[in-house]
Amino acid sequence: MTARPTIRRIVVVAVLAAVLAPRSAAAYLNLSVDLRGQTVRLRWGSSPIRWFASNRGAPGVLAADFQAAAARAFATWQAVPSASLSTQFVGFTSASPLFEDGISTLGFENRPELDRVLGATDFTLDTVTGEIVESDIFLNSAFTWSVSAGGSATAFDVQSVATHEIGHFLGLGHSALGETELRPDGGRRVLASGAVMFPISFGRGNTADRELQPDDIAGISDLYPSSTFRAQTGVLHGHVLRGGRPVFGAHVIAFNPATGQSIAGFVLGDDGSFQIAGLTPGPHVIRVEPLDDADVESFFDGSVDANFSVTFYDRLFVAPKGGAGEQVDITVRPK
Amino acid sequence: MIGRRGHQVGLRPDTTLIVIACVACLTSTAADAQIRAREPGRIEVAGGGGWFAGGALGSSDANLRANSATSSPYRLFTTDTQFGAAPVLEARVSVVLSRRFAVEGRLGFNRPELRTTISSDAEQGNAIAAVEKMNQYMVDAGVVVMLGRPGVGNFAPFVTAGGGYLRQVHETQTLIDDGHSYHVGGGIKRRLFTRDRRFVKSAGVRGDVRVYWLSGGMAFDTDTHTRVAATGAFFVGF
Repeated sequence: MTARPTIRRIVVVAVLAAVLAPRSAAAYLNLSVDLRGQTVRLRWGSSPIRWFASNRGAPGVLAADFQAAAARAFATWQAVPSASLSTQFVGFTSASPLFEDGISTLGFENRPELDRVLGATDFTLDTVTGEIVESDIFLNSAFTWSVSAGGSATAFDVQSVATHEIGHFLGLGHSALGETELRPDGGRRVLASGAVMFPISFGRGNTADRELQPDDIAGISDLYPSSTFRAQTGVLHGHVLRGGRPVFGAHVIAFNPATGQSIAGFVLGDDGSFQIAGLTPGPHVIRVEPLDDADVESFFDGSVDANFSVTFYDRLFVAPKGGAGEQVDITVRPK
Repeated sequence: MIGRRGHQVGLRPDTTLIVIACVACLTSTAADAQIRAREPGRIEVAGGGGWFAGGALGSSDANLRANSATSSPYRLFTTDTQFGAAPVLEARVSVVLSRRFAVEGRLGFNRPELRTTISSDAEQGNAIAAVEKMNQYMVDAGVVVMLGRPGVGNFAPFVTAGGGYLRQVHETQTLIDDGHSYHVGGGIKRRLFTRDRRFVKSAGVRGDVRVYWLSGGMAFDTDTHTRVAATGAFFVGF
């Protein structure tokens, strides 16, 4: 539907150069940073998480309309029953979302040079605890935007993109649960997506990303678990290997035939290990695929091994109700 | 000749009467014993095995949202899941309430295979079947109604109906699904012997065919699922 592929990237400033090199993940991809030799997942430490809205709108979108759409997007994440997080809109500000100023600001910025970036999120961390102390989101007003309830065929939906960026704001990375095709100009067109946190946006007029998917819900619940989340859901863990060697970056999908839900994670361990949390108890089909549906750097740094064919595990994995199930070691098929 | 003939004629009815009387007596004894074996308070214990049929759990697609509000979901791959048929072991205890009625408790165990066939992968993933074994326990109780006196060959037909508890333990012992079962069925019993004033008062064999409706347990929906079981057992009466 779109004339050009539009990729939402995480813009990381100063201290967060390491954020794009996560070395651990549970369900989904959680952003993390290495502090004093330890991997720390990015998350807010205090509640409610306070945010401001920029008092500058964009063509066709008033600042108040932007704030209302952003508030709905925050409410979507906050409404996840298996997650425990609270956010609060504080007020409008003239501050730019591009500057580190001690307050978390969401707003428009005109960045025509970022011709494939709809929006971006950056963080300021406490380098002792790893907690997020500030996060800012900008939507690129070089594009056309809409806040209408049903979307606009000629504009990107503010609420959908804000929902994606707020996922980053809260500490989530990108999901690879989607399929794309190459475009003649070298970009990618998204064919389908199974997560709001898929890095490539749907096209203009599409409002589907206003609604969280199971993969998003598992990710946010793993990061901010409710009191019952760990006890009610199971964890898949194991290794992906080829010829006995680890396959770094392999994308692992756990599909529950009873619920129709897919939740995914990545091989991020040097030993080929992966872990996916938040699975509904019951049998799951496990599928491993190469990470080839978006730019690798939109997920993490590292030498991703995509030299294998899609492989299904020949056993059903039974997610327990609480805790981890049996370890699953999958040998992928060569290309 | 006439006399001999007359003698023969005279003997034949006697012999016939004796034979008929003996047969009648034996039949009466067996039938009475059968009936006594069904006197209230008597207990029967049975053990045996058979076959528990499988069934379909249904198809399910791994769908992604297509990049269009109007198109169908994007199917990543398709699954089709079956509960396999498996041998079943069972034990029963019956308490006779009257000559016609008994109540019966049953414990059944089998290990069906859960098999999910994967196909139509959007990226040419290998089409395989992913499997696991489950331990399935069924504890149920029911009423047994004997249908008249034992007939030809001492076969006594009966019908039964009841319900119970279903427990399915997944292979890795990390998850238990439970539910309820309801059944109707019928069968025949044949006593091999009966005797009074002994601890073991009777023994025999029985065959059962039951239709089960399983509610809950491992399922992709909230519907009840129908299964058929055919079993045979050896029983002892006390």
